[in-house]
Amino acid sequence: MNIIVTIKQVPDPDIPPIHFKVDEAAGKVVPPPGVAPVMNGYDANALEAALKLKEAHGGRVTAITLGGQEARDTLKRAVAMGADAAVLIDDPNLREGDSFTTATALARAIEKVGEYDLILCGRQASDTDAGQVPLGLGEILGLPTISPVIAIESTNGGVKAHRMIEDGQQVIEAQLPAVMAVSSEIGEPRYPPLRGIMMAGRTQIPVWTAADLGLDDGSAAPKVQLRRLYIESREQACELVDGDTPEEIAAALAQKLREAKLI
Amino acid sequence: MAVAVRDDVQHEQQEAIRAAVRDVCKDYPDAYWRELDQRQEYPEAFVRALTEAGWLAALIPEQYGGAGLGITEASIILEEINRSGANSAACHAQMYIMGALLKHGNEEQKQRYLPKIAAGELRLQAFGVTEPNAGSETTRIQTTAVRQADRYVINGQKVWTSRFKQSDLMLLLARTTPYDDLTDKTRGLSVFLVDLREAGAAIESRPIDAMVNHSTNELFINDLVVPAENLIGEEGMGFRYIIDGWNAERILIAAESVGDGRWFVDRAVKYANERVVFGRPIGANQGVQFPIAQAYAHVEAADLVRYKAAARFDSGQKCGAEANMAKLLASEAAWEAANACMTVHGGYGLATEYDVERKFREARLYIVAPINNNLVLGYLGQHVLGMPKSY
Ligand SMILES: Cc1cc2nc3c(=O)[nH]c(=O)nc-3n(C[C@H](O)[C@H](O)[C@H](O)COP(=O)(O)OP(=O)(O)OC[C@H]3O[C@@H](n4cnc5c(N)ncnc54)[C@H](O)[C@@H]3O)c2cc1C
Repeated sequence: MNIIVTIKQVPDPDIPPIHFKVDEAAGKVVPPPGVAPVMNGYDANALEAALKLKEAHGGRVTAITLGGQEARDTLKRAVAMGADAAVLIDDPNLREGDSFTTATALARAIEKVGEYDLILCGRQASDTDAGQVPLGLGEILGLPTISPVIAIESTNGGVKAHRMIEDGQQVIEAQLPAVMAVSSEIGEPRYPPLRGIMMAGRTQIPVWTAADLGLDDGSAAPKVQLRRLYIESREQACELVDGDTPEEIAAALAQKLREAKLI
Repeated sequence: MAVAVRDDVQHEQQEAIRAAVRDVCKDYPDAYWRELDQRQEYPEAFVRALTEAGWLAALIPEQYGGAGLGITEASIILEEINRSGANSAACHAQMYIMGALLKHGNEEQKQRYLPKIAAGELRLQAFGVTEPNAGSETTRIQTTAVRQADRYVINGQKVWTSRFKQSDLMLLLARTTPYDDLTDKTRGLSVFLVDLREAGAAIESRPIDAMVNHSTNELFINDLVVPAENLIGEEGMGFRYIIDGWNAERILIAAESVGDGRWFVDRAVKYANERVVFGRPIGANQGVQFPIAQAYAHVEAADLVRYKAAARFDSGQKCGAEANMAKLLASEAAWEAANACMTVHGGYGLATEYDVERKFREARLYIVAPINNNLVLGYLGQHVLGMPKSY
């Protein structure tokens, strides 16, 4: 089974909130100094799922990223974990895009890779949490798309996905090729082993530009207009509810909750 | 130009190694080490994770399933472990013991053991050299190995044999010629690869309760039978083989100390910036700031010597002077940083939950072991500076 995994490089979500800064004028997140960006967590889960399928059924795993040159590190990590190949899409005209731009560029790149049975994405990226790309990808490529997926089984000629729903799981059978957006329940990603790191060091990562993907005509131009990017301020206050007896305290608490329109 | 390109690739690989080791360490935070320390338990899960990802097989050649890397990369692995707040002592020995098997083992021995060690099926991380009556003076060991047909029978006592209970294989130094029969006192010792899974009751171990959580033991060896095929290299040449491994060991220990030193400096700086006394961060006082800056400078200087030693080692040049200096400077710089960090933390440095006192104890070890710094100075005095032998 040949699998393509789409991977995004994101700012490390484990940095303390005070280090998270945005440049409001430019409408951009300011990368925290001295903290290396990381592979999006759900994408790492998707890669892990792909590697497990490959171990069980054979095939090739290809990782694709849209990002700047620094995203190479994330692709190298994917190769170190066990991906057979990696492709970087990098073009100034694609950098400032939205989910549509990303989905379009990835779809073109996936077509260019050619042979694939399954496309695995993370269910959403920890920087924007939009979760739009997998669905857009399915739409553009005209493929069945399932999200969020917590287990994947290969069946005869097809695939069975366990989809998380509010009160349980839905089991969906799909024909291949298909797109799946993977959630963390699918399993912890492995550590890149030392041999993988050495392999990654020797792997050449091709860079595809918008022209290489036939997107230099502006057809991947963003659909979303960013009006304002800012960090919302949250106010917190703490009030101790007083009273002589438990009943009085409870009554006073109920009164305050009602005033706050919480009950 | 070609050299610059190669250096770049190598540098990138080293950075990738650093990042990947950090990744593993991230899942074993301070609390993990603190609790193990309190219970005096071996970090089994951590060592398993490192082994499974191949980190401890860094020095094993690729043809035997390892990564075939140099001492530079191996030292980076251990440095990062210690820098993260963890303790390499639990597993470093596999790396430096390996040298004897790699360099002096025969092909059959390498085929038999190395692939399984690389795959994590076997652990070779016990090293039985030190004895109650022979610490720094290794040539005085009394444990004997007597050849009987196709086997050796070993009797004696070892002390400070670390990770004995967490090893499948132990490298053991024993006497094959009585001391008094030797003209050259560096001869007459031999190295054996002991399969501990077959040793049974012939080795009795007693744990040593120590200042550090180090899984270290006293061993009582009674009629231990070792097949002659497990003799490494030539009989009587064991001390040379052990000495051959010393440079690698010194460089690896230096890197661990550099890792410790950086951990102490980081923690000291953080606390100095955060703790407010007399209305300002304590780091605003030169009395607080300077010892940290001084220790930092010493750690960085030691690190340069460590890289110089490692580069010489990896390119096959003589590196005894550099390796010894690296171990000396790094262990002392780490200890200086440990003291600065302890002092900055005031009373809290002594509270286990800050982890400073744990690292403080761990960093102190490298001033005395695997070799004490007096003997390192003795080496420099004699072999580098040409003064009389002082030990
Ligand atoms: C936690 C721990 C783990 C260890 N793990 C292992 C292990 O796995 N395997 C193993 O074989 N050993 C191990 N050791 C032993 C270690 O290698 C020895 O402790 C070390 O070599 C010093 O030997 P000694 O303790 O007998 O000190 P001694 O040789 O008795 O020396 C005592 C002191 O005298 C000084 N001294 C001695 N001679 C001279 C001289 N000529 N000039 C100046 N000063 C001198 C030394 O500096 C030292 O401070 C371990 C030790 C510790 C503490």
